[in-house]
Parts: sequence; structure tokens; C-alpha cells
Amino acid sequence: MQHTDPEKEGKLRRLQESVEAHPDDPSLRFQLGVLLWKEWDDKEKAAEQFLVAAKLKPEIEKGGAFTYLGLYYAGLGSESHTQRALKCFQKAVSLNPDDSLSGEALCELLDQQGKESLEVAVCREASQNSPRAFWAFQRLGYLQLHQNKCSDAVHSLQHAIRGYPTSAHLWEALGLAYQRLGRFTAALKSYGRAIELEGTRIFALLESGNTFLMLGSYKKGVETFQQALEISPKSVSAHYGLAAGMLGLAKECNNLGAYRWGATVLEEASKVAWMSTQLAGNLSSIWKLHGDIQLTYAKCYPWMEEGNGLEFDMESFDNSILSWKRTCCLAAKTARCSYQRALHLAPWQANMYIDIAVTSDLIDSLDNSSGHDLSAWHQSEKMALGALLLEGDNSEFWVALGCLSDHKALKQHALIRGLQLNVSLAVAWAYLGKLYRNQGEKQFARQSFDCARSIDPSLALPWAGMSADFHAGESAVGEAYESCLRAAQILPLAEFQIGLAKLALASGNLSSSQVFEAIRQAMQRAPHYPECHNLNGLVSEAQCNYQSAAVSYRLARCAITNLSGSDRKSHMTDISVNLARSLSKAGNALDALHECEDLKKEGLLDVEGLQIYAFSLWQLGETNLALSVVRSLAVSVSTMEQKSAAAPVVFICRLLYYISGLDSAINSILKMPKQLFRSSKISFIISAIHALDQSNRLQSIVSSTRDYLKSHEEITGMHFLIALGKLVKHGSECCLGYQSGVNHLRKALHMYPNSSLLRNFLGYLLLSTEEWNDTHIATRCCNVDTMNPIEGGLKSAYEILAAGAVACYAVGTCNPKFSYPTCTYQCLNEPGTIQQLQKCLRREPWNQNIRYLLVLNLLQKAREERFPSHLCIILERLITVALSDEFYHNDDSSYEYKKFQLLLCASEICLQGGNLTGCINHAKNASSIMLPDGYLFFAHLLLLRAYASEGNMVNLQKEYIRCLQLKTDLHIGWICLKLMESCYEVQTDLDMLELSFRECPTESMNSRNMWGAIFSLVKGLICIWNQDIVSAEEFLAQACSLAGAECSLLLCHGATCMELSRRGCASQFLSLAIRSLVKAQEASLIPLPIVSALLAQAVASLGSKEKWEKNLRLEWPTWPPEMRPAELFFQMHLLAKQSKASPQSSSVEFCQSPQRWVLRAIHTNPSCMRYWTVLQKFVE
Amino acid sequence: MKLAGLKSIEDAHDESVWAVTWVPATESRPSLLLTGSLDETVRLWQPDELVNRGKMTGHCLGVASVAAHPSGRIAASASLDSFVRVFDVDTNNTVASLEAPPSEVWQLRFNPQGTMLAVAGGGSASVKVWDTATWDIVATLSIPRPEGTKPTDKSSSKKFVLSVAWSPDGRRIACGSMDGTVSVFDADRAKFLHHLEGHFMPVRSLVFSPVEPRLLFTGSDDTHVHMYDAEGKTLVGAMSGHAGWVLSVDVSSDGAAVATGSSDRTVRLWDISMRGAVQTMSNHTDQVWGVAFRPGGMPGRLASVSDDKSISLYDYS
Repeated sequence: MQHTDPEKEGKLRRLQESVEAHPDDPSLRFQLGVLLWKEWDDKEKAAEQFLVAAKLKPEIEKGGAFTYLGLYYAGLGSESHTQRALKCFQKAVSLNPDDSLSGEALCELLDQQGKESLEVAVCREASQNSPRAFWAFQRLGYLQLHQNKCSDAVHSLQHAIRGYPTSAHLWEALGLAYQRLGRFTAALKSYGRAIELEGTRIFALLESGNTFLMLGSYKKGVETFQQALEISPKSVSAHYGLAAGMLGLAKECNNLGAYRWGATVLEEASKVAWMSTQLAGNLSSIWKLHGDIQLTYAKCYPWMEEGNGLEFDMESFDNSILSWKRTCCLAAKTARCSYQRALHLAPWQANMYIDIAVTSDLIDSLDNSSGHDLSAWHQSEKMALGALLLEGDNSEFWVALGCLSDHKALKQHALIRGLQLNVSLAVAWAYLGKLYRNQGEKQFARQSFDCARSIDPSLALPWAGMSADFHAGESAVGEAYESCLRAAQILPLAEFQIGLAKLALASGNLSSSQVFEAIRQAMQRAPHYPECHNLNGLVSEAQCNYQSAAVSYRLARCAITNLSGSDRKSHMTDISVNLARSLSKAGNALDALHECEDLKKEGLLDVEGLQIYAFSLWQLGETNLALSVVRSLAVSVSTMEQKSAAAPVVFICRLLYYISGLDSAINSILKMPKQLFRSSKISFIISAIHALDQSNRLQSIVSSTRDYLKSHEEITGMHFLIALGKLVKHGSECCLGYQSGVNHLRKALHMYPNSSLLRNFLGYLLLSTEEWNDTHIATRCCNVDTMNPIEGGLKSAYEILAAGAVACYAVGTCNPKFSYPTCTYQCLNEPGTIQQLQKCLRREPWNQNIRYLLVLNLLQKAREERFPSHLCIILERLITVALSDEFYHNDDSSYEYKKFQLLLCASEICLQGGNLTGCINHAKNASSIMLPDGYLFFAHLLLLRAYASEGNMVNLQKEYIRCLQLKTDLHIGWICLKLMESCYEVQTDLDMLELSFRECPTESMNSRNMWGAIFSLVKGLICIWNQDIVSAEEFLAQACSLAGAECSLLLCHGATCMELSRRGCASQFLSLAIRSLVKAQEASLIPLPIVSALLAQAVASLGSKEKWEKNLRLEWPTWPPEMRPAELFFQMHLLAKQSKASPQSSSVEFCQSPQRWVLRAIHTNPSCMRYWTVLQKFVE
Repeated sequence: MKLAGLKSIEDAHDESVWAVTWVPATESRPSLLLTGSLDETVRLWQPDELVNRGKMTGHCLGVASVAAHPSGRIAASASLDSFVRVFDVDTNNTVASLEAPPSEVWQLRFNPQGTMLAVAGGGSASVKVWDTATWDIVATLSIPRPEGTKPTDKSSSKKFVLSVAWSPDGRRIACGSMDGTVSVFDADRAKFLHHLEGHFMPVRSLVFSPVEPRLLFTGSDDTHVHMYDAEGKTLVGAMSGHAGWVLSVDVSSDGAAVATGSSDRTVRLWDISMRGAVQTMSNHTDQVWGVAFRPGGMPGRLASVSDDKSISLYDYS
């Protein structure tokens, strides 16, 4: 300070001098004033200067002089000075409305003097004079908000915020204004901004929390209040809001039926509410909230099934119910206490009386302490009357009285009084309806419910009420179910839910998820009702969960023992029968039997019980006892109505068949009265028995019962059964009568082309016939429809498709890179089989059968593509896992067979991959499986191949002999053996092999010929290997004559004939060759390579150049580009050179010069001297 | 709320499309759609025009499931032979190859924190959890055998696990099985907590609500969509309307709507508060295997894929 003083003084002196020099210059005076005010703090002298300046020029510095003067006077503090200050400020503001300093000061002064209207006027004037007078807008906004002129306040505040956008206070005020206007979302946004700017705005937090609650966003509300509590942990409002928010949240949960969730939230809410009672114990609203929370808790606390699963203990069940009731009761009593405190603090609040009344009623119902005599008033009634004494014209109180009272007359009176006060009170109408219904006045009840429903369709009770009377036929049940479902969805009350389950039982909706949901929730709230557990059991049973059904029935029986009542005994019987049935279905025959015996002791076995009894006895091997039970069942059936007799009759027939066999069953059926057979179910069982009976004793009954088949499903099902019957009846000892079955199915399918059951069965039969062509027809007649996953019958479509695809060697690829499919029956859908199987696997990944079929198809594909390594890796993985799966540890022969096949596949893959040890191990494993010799043959065949490639001649010989011993029914086995035999020069007994081959059974001539042809082909090939071309030609000619138009055989024959003629044999071979090759050309579906080239040569030797050209041209497109051999290019060169066609034509040989053709030939095969020579000629 | 079709690509793949998920956006690109198909490829698509952004090969059988890491940088795909390929989305470099016995990998899901990959273990009746840093199995969450069955009783007690889901806080794992039970696990302690009952046919898809960690939505072959309180083991809503299996379920990012794809060839939009279907899209001509809401941010997008080889994109508002 010291060293600046001279400078400061100098500045002052200079200014004073210039003022003295120009005493009339206001700006100099103003500057001097400011200097004195700010730097010398000499306000008095400064004021003098300002006074002069203001006199000389009032508008100086936009009235700045007045501002200083005002501040000066205001600082002096006395009454008169304050007046002066006011005037100065007024002048300053009028000169410069943007001057927030004077404006604020002016308003402060006015505020101190209590002149609010003047303050408003000042602010308004300033705000009108300048849009930038933000101070004025702010002031005005606050004042307007204070005066509750909210819409004006919103405008002012919005304007002020433009000037002070970061003022949390302004945003908060704006939020409040919006909130008061009822614009809650806008309010929330403003509060949110305030909190964003300043995280500790407790008011904004609390108010936005309250707004969230008001809007029903309880979750957000709770979060906001939690935030508020962090800032101010002792805030009563925050505690209250938090508890209220949690209560709202819990109520939402309860309305969903998530009682456990609701209870957890309520436990926390109760803690918070209790905290707030500790903070402010004398606020009745807090006690009421605590009461509300506890009451809701009492109403939602769920009974939890003890975690003992399927174990069952009566005592622990009773205890758990008791403790559940105790918890509920305790909560209700706590609620009543809290309500009483609230009432004590504010005895004028009538609704508190009602709260206490409702709670008392709940406690009574939980305590079961209904020892009141009718004349005395109930506590709940008294309290409700108390409320009415205070507010007699409150219609809701009347309704409450109506609900709580036990006196019917009073009830009715109270409800009607409520309706008189407010005719559109839906609740009153609903309760009135309930009252009428209880009194048996259905007409009135219906009208009342209708009224309630039309006033408020979101009320649950009328919907439930409407569903209660449904005894009027089938359609009405469905309607009642729908209506009750709605009630239970609006309000998940145990009573509604139990009613819903009952209606579901009547309308056949038991397996529906909504019913499951309802009954499970009902069990949490009404565990003491036996019917609740019984219905839960029925629902579980409908979902095929028999074990838990049995547990539920046991619980139901437990609950019923604690109950008293006249019809207890009949309920008990029903539950016991249910229990026995579910036990039996769960496979627990022994327990089911015990249940039935218990029932029998009491003489309560009805028809259903008898069936279960007989069935359990049969399962346990007590056939004689079972038969006697069946006899008594038959006695009771004879007295039954026809409609309900069908099931027991079917049962009797089946059990008789199982116990005493076909003949006795047929005899019993013949003895039964004919009128019992009027049902489709019986028709099926009798037809099935008839199918097995070779002497057709049931013919007349069968044909008469078939009239009762009505629906398509039933009729197609019957055709299925008839076809099965034909298989049995027309079959021989070793072979079923496939052809007659196929014939029947063809006819049936003509009538019912949509039936996948019949289609698949036909496919299955066609596959089973082993007819040459039928595998292809089989795949075509089934339709793998991804839309209908549920299929009955023996085999599903995908199994037939996959099996059919495996059966034909041309499985997957139509890519001729790998092979030239010559199968003339090529099915269009076959290339997609692997994809189809993957689709099936995607849908049913757990299905081992699909995996198995996929493995087989993949192997087929791998074989066709010469075992590429990536496919081999997948296959190896798939097979390893499949083999390790416990699925194949089953002893059933079909699983054994699949395991065998998988082992063979694994062995084959190993063989192809060069892993001979693996191959031998797998094949040995396969050969040790207990299967018919005909299958094991193939395991040994594989072993034979493995030893062959190992060079182990001793073992090879052994395996060969083993194969001959085992024998197989399948031609292909013998053919393979034959090939192996000749390849490895095994010491043989040729006749034996041939003989066995001929012995293989075949149904039709066609396939016998085909196999014969292939066998001849093999023999022919062997001859060729041995250079015995002449006999080879004989064998091949034989093969061709057996097989008809089979292009690969024809090609072989043609080629052999060509070779013979090349060797200079008789000339007829050339014409034979031409004949075969032409046939081959015609027969092949996809043009075979080599055929045309050979043919070209043959015709050329006969001197026909034209035909040579034509055939050579045909040869070109038969080769895929990457596989064309050198010779083909060379031939094309010849063609290009020799061709008579004009070089401009589009023939393929002219696409490049003859020289280029030769170059390509050399490029492909540089080792052939012939090409080089030709090239040399070109160069020369 | 409603759906409006934006774009549909016929023959997006050569074969049935089986899996779909959204790859979250990174700094350099917007979020992308990832699809897997029976044609053994995984493809990337850029919305809204569904421009093909790449085709990834490397599987030898159909791709049954795809999952994207929350960072958007890596994704995983699994084929029917249980081969899982984890790859970099932008470069298609393989990050890791995970192998399990065939039939023991079904659905895949990364946890919201991105530290784990949960795999529905199919025939192993468990959920396997892989660490995404080391790509080792860190936990196997097995479904306990139902009581009352002997350990030797092998055939019936196994529950083929089809689907898996993480709760938004990453603390719970739920998985759906072939017999219709849903099992809930504590992810931190790798412990089985309880079953959720109500379905009685395979549960092929399940998903937690992104806003409420207790709420779990499941879709099952019994044609129903269920809403569970996963902590309180209570069924709190059952929505019916589909005529076929429900193959896929997803919840919108605001938690207010559920979309389902079904074998009845439709995509349905459900309002959770009304517990009913509000819209049915029938633009697919075969069963719809996957639906996926784009996570976070407006405007809302829903994608669906189907056996008819097509992909559809909808606007959700």
C-alpha cells in the first residue's frame, strides 16, 4: 500500500484539479466520485460529487450517479435517508432498467417496507422497458410464484433463465411453477436441470421425487429420494417420500403377483418409515404410511414352500402354514397400532377409522377367533361407524361399512346408501352383486355386476362375479373362463385364481400358462386352502409333471385334515384318487397301490380308482389280483353311462390283452354287450387286437365300431392301423407283408393326401421293402415340413429322408468334380438332405437320432468327395461324442445297431486317414456287439480291409474265413468280399461265395437282377485285372443284359469290346461296342465322359468322319473344366484340323488354333511324346 | 409403441438364417448387425440399408448362435458341431477358437462387463463360462439333478441346455432347458440358486429386462412368453398369442416392449404393461429364428432373421 500511495494521491489530485478547472463537466465529477468511493472509501465526499454530477446531467453513466447515491443513502440507514435512497434507486432504474444493482437494492428496500405490490410494479415496469432486465424478470418470477400466479411466473422465470442459465435457484423455481400448474413432466425437467447444476438442491430433489410418485414412476421416485437422503440424512420428507415410493413399488409388484418381490421391498420400506417416525413421531401422516406399509405386507407376505422338494412332512407343512399366518397377523397388528397412533394424533380424520376397521377385519380373519355373538358389534363395524359419524356423506365409507359388516340387512343398507350418495360408484355395485349372489338372487346379482362393469371395466370383482355361474353349457364355460382370467389379471387375488383354475379344469385349459401362473400365485397367498393344492396338482399333471403333482395332492390332503366341514370326506376321496393317479403316472406303482388299498378299505374306490388299482397291480406283477379288479370294474362299467364308459372299456380290453393274451381278450370282447362299443377310442383298441388275430374273429365288431370314427385324424389313424394289420396278416414268417401294406397306404393316401402320418408310414414301408427303386420313391413321398414338428407314427419324415439319402450312393453333391452320378432315380431334394438334417438338429439339438443320421449322411458325402480332411475331422468329433453318450449305453437292440454303425463309420474314417490301429480297434469293438451275424459280417469285412492295407496276410485270411462263416443277407457284403478276395489273392472257395450270394433273399425280380448285374460287373473287372479280356466281355455282357439300361455297365462293356477289337479280335466286337456306347449315351442322365470319345473312335474306325466329329464335339462338355485330360485337348486339335465345318461356326474346336490345342495338351501332360511330335510338325 | 418395416433383404444368406445380434458401435463405425446361417457363414450388415459389410467363413456346419462383445470389437459364433470361433469384427482375424464336444455348445452370451462369455452347454446340462482375457473355462454351472432320481438313472434326468442370459448387472445367469425349466445361477459365486417353473416344453430363448435386473422374459415351444421375478421365483406374467414355438425373445432397451420370433412365421411385439401383443409382423415366409433390439439409444431398431433366408429391419417407436 505504502508505495502506491503517492501514485494514488497523484491520480486523485489530477482529477480534483481538472474538476476545479471544469466545474460543469459532470463526467469528471462522476469519475472523481467513483474514485473516492472505490479507492479512498470516502463515501460522503463521493456522494457530494455524485450529487453534483446528477444535477448537471441526470442521465450520466445511465443513471450510475443515482445508483451510488442510493447506495450511499441506504448505507446511512435512517428513515429519511431510506426514502431518499428509494428515490435515487427509482431514478436509476428508470434511467437504466438493466441495472440489476439498483433494481435489486430497490426491491430489497421495498421488500423491507412490505410494499409488495410496488415491488411488482417496479419489476414489471423494468421488464417492460428492457428485455435484458433479467434481474427484474427473476424478481418478478419469484414474486408471482409467491403470489401463486404460476403461469405468469413461468413466463418471467423462463425469461430470467435466458439471462442466468446456470442459476439452479431459477430452475428450481421454474420447476415449482410447472408443478403447481400440473405440468409434471416439464417440472421434472426443470428440477432435473437444477439438480444437474447443483447436486445438493434438496428442495428440487424432494419435489421431483414427489412428482415421480405422483406420475407413478415409483422406481425413479425412490432413486431420487435416496439421493436426497444422502445429502440430508435426517430429512423427514425424504424418508417419507422414500417409504411412500417403495410402497408404490411394492403395490405394483403385488399387482403382478410378484409377492416375494413386493414383500422384500415392503420390508425395506417399513424400516424407512420407522426411521421417519423416530425423526418426527408426532405426524399422523407418517404413522398412517407405516400402517399402510404393514397392512400391505400382511396382505402380500407369501407362503414359501419349504425347500424340501419331493420329500414330504406333514408336521413341517403345518408349521410353515402356522408361521406364515403368524407373520401376516403380526404385520396386521403392527399396522393397526400405527393407525391408532395416527388417529390419536389427528382424531378428526375420518379415513383413519376406516383404516383401523379394515385392519381389524383382516386380523379377525387371520386369527380365526370368530367367537362373537351376532348381537354385539364387531370392532371393525364400530370403527367404520365412527368414520361415518364424522363424515356421513362419504359414499366410500358406506361401502366400507357394507363390506365389513356381518349383518346382511346392514350390508345391503350401507351399500345402497353409498349408491344413493354416488350412483356411479362401481365398487358399491360390485359388492352389492356379491351380496345378492350369496343370497341366491342371481338376477339381481347379474344386473349389479353388469352395472359395475359398465361403469368401471378395470374393476376385477364384477368380472369374477360374472364368471361364477357357468353351469349353462360348453360355450358358457369358455366365456366364464375368459372373464375370470380377466379378473385374475387385473387383481391377482387368491380367490379369483382358484376360481380360474376350477374353470380351466371345466373348460380344458389346465395346461395353459396363465392358469399355472394363477395357481402358483394363489398357493403363496392361500396355502391353507386344500383346493388350492389340489388344483395345483391338476395343473402340474396337465403339464406332465407327475412327481410335483403327487406332492401337491399330498399337501392338499394335509390341508384338508385341518379343515372341518360336511363334504370333507368326498373331497378327501377325490384328492386320494388324484394322488393315486399321479403316482401311477409317475411310475411309482407301489405307492399308487397303497393309496388304492387305503381307498378300498374305506370302500371309496370308484371307476377311476379301480382302473388305477388294476393297473398298479399289473405293473407289480400281481396279475391274478389285477384280473379280479378288472372283473369288478367290468361290473361297475355295465351300470355306467355310455359316454363315460369308453375309457374304462378300453382299459379293460388292453389289460386283458396284456395279462391273458390275444385269445382271452378276443373272447371277452365277444362277450361284452355291443352297445358299449360306440366310441372311436374303442374302435381303435378293437382294431388293434383284430390286426393281430389271424382268424378274424372280431371282423363284425370292428366294422361296426368304425362308424364312430369322425374326424380326419381318427380316420387316417385307423388307416395306419389297418396297414399295420395287413403287414402282419399278409407277411410270412421272416418277412412282413410290405407290399400289401404299401398298396393299402397308397389307396388311403389318395383319399387323404394331407396326412403326414400316412405319408411317413408309406415312406417307411417303401424303405423297408429293399426294392431297388423304392428308396427314392420313399424320400419323395414324405414331406419334411418344418412347421409341424409333432408327428405321430413310427418314423418321422426326416428319418425317412435321411435313410433314403444314405441308401442311394449318389447322396449329396451334384458337383461332378467328385463323381458322375449315374443313378437314374435321382431325387430332386436329395442334395439338401444334410441341410435338412441340420435344420432338424437346430430345432431338436438333444435328438441323438438326428445326430446319428447326420453322421451317416456326412460319411456318405465324405466318401463321395474322397474323404476331405475337414469332413473327416467333423465326423471324428461327432462320432466320438455320440459313442461316449450314455444314450448308446442302452441295451435295446436298435441302439446297439446304431452304435455298431457309428463304430463302423469311425473305423472307416480311420482307415481312410491311414490310422490303421484306430480302424482295427473300432472294427473289433463293433464286431463284439451282440447283433445278428449278418450285421457283424461287415465289421469283419472292415477288419479284412484294414489287415489288407497293413499287409497282414494271416489275419486277412482269418477274417475272410470269418466272413464266410458269418454270412450276410445283404448282397453288397458278398460283392465287397469278392472284390477283396481277388485283390489280395486270398485262398478261396469260390463256389461258397457265389452260392451265398445267390442265397440272399430278395422280394422282387428287379432287385435280384440288379444285384446279379453288379456281381457280374465285379467278376468282369476281376477278369480285366487278370488280362482275361475275353471272359471279361462275357461277364459284362451278362451284366448289361441283367441290368437293362445302366449306363456305367454299358460303358464298361463298350470299352472292353473296343479293347478286344483293338487287339484284332473278331470285327463283331466293334459293332457291339458301338451298340453299347450308343445305349450308354442315351441312358445317362448327366452325360458321362469318355463314352462319346470312345464312340467317336469306334465310328471313325468304321470310316464315318461325320459321326466322329459329332461325337467328339459331344465329349467336350461332359468334362468339368478343371478335370479335362490332355487327351481331350489333343483330340480337339485333331477335330479342329480335320473338321469340315467352316471355321467361323460356333463349334468348340475353333475357339483356338490347332496349335494352341496341342500346347494345352502338352501343358496338361508334358510326358506324352505323341503331343511333342505333333507340335514339332506345327513348328516346322 | 409400434414397429414399422424399414428394409428387408431376401436371400441375405444362401440358406436358413439362424442367429442374429447387434454389434455395438465403436468410435470408427456405427453399430452393425451380425447374422449366422446354415450356409456356414457369418455376415455383417450396416443399418439402415443393410449393406453387406463382410462375410466370415470358418465353420463346417450351420451357425446356430452368434454373440457380440459389449465393446463392439469382437464377436463369437458357434456351429452345430460345437466349434466356437471368436473373431475381430472389423478385421475378421480369429481371436480364439474354443472347442467343446459336439452338442455341448448352444447359445452364446457375453456378460455386460465383457469379461466373460457364457455358453449354454447343451447336452452337458450346464452353462460353461469362459474368461475373455485368457479364453479358459473359469466356471461350469451345472444344473443339479432333480431330487428323487438316482444318479444311475441316466437317460431322463439330463436337461439339455438351450439358452442362456446375463442379468444387466452381471450378477445372475439364467439358462433354459429342453424340459422347460429355467435355472438361475449366482454368477459371482458360480452357484445354482433355483429353478423357475411354468414352461413344459423347451425354452429356446430368454433375456433379462435391461432396466429391472429381477425381470426375466422367456420364450418356449409351448407357444407362451413368460415374465418371471427371477429372484422371487414367481411367474408374474404369461403372454399367449403365437400359434407355434416361440424361438426367440428380446426386450427393448427401455424395458417396455418385448419382441418374439416364432415358428408360426411371425414377429410379434408385446406391451409388457398390457401383457398382450400389440402388433404382428408377418413378412417372413418361414419360421423366425432370431429377433434382436438394437441396444441403447434412439431411434429404436429391431432386426429379425428367418428360415426363409431373409433379414428384416424395423423401426421401433
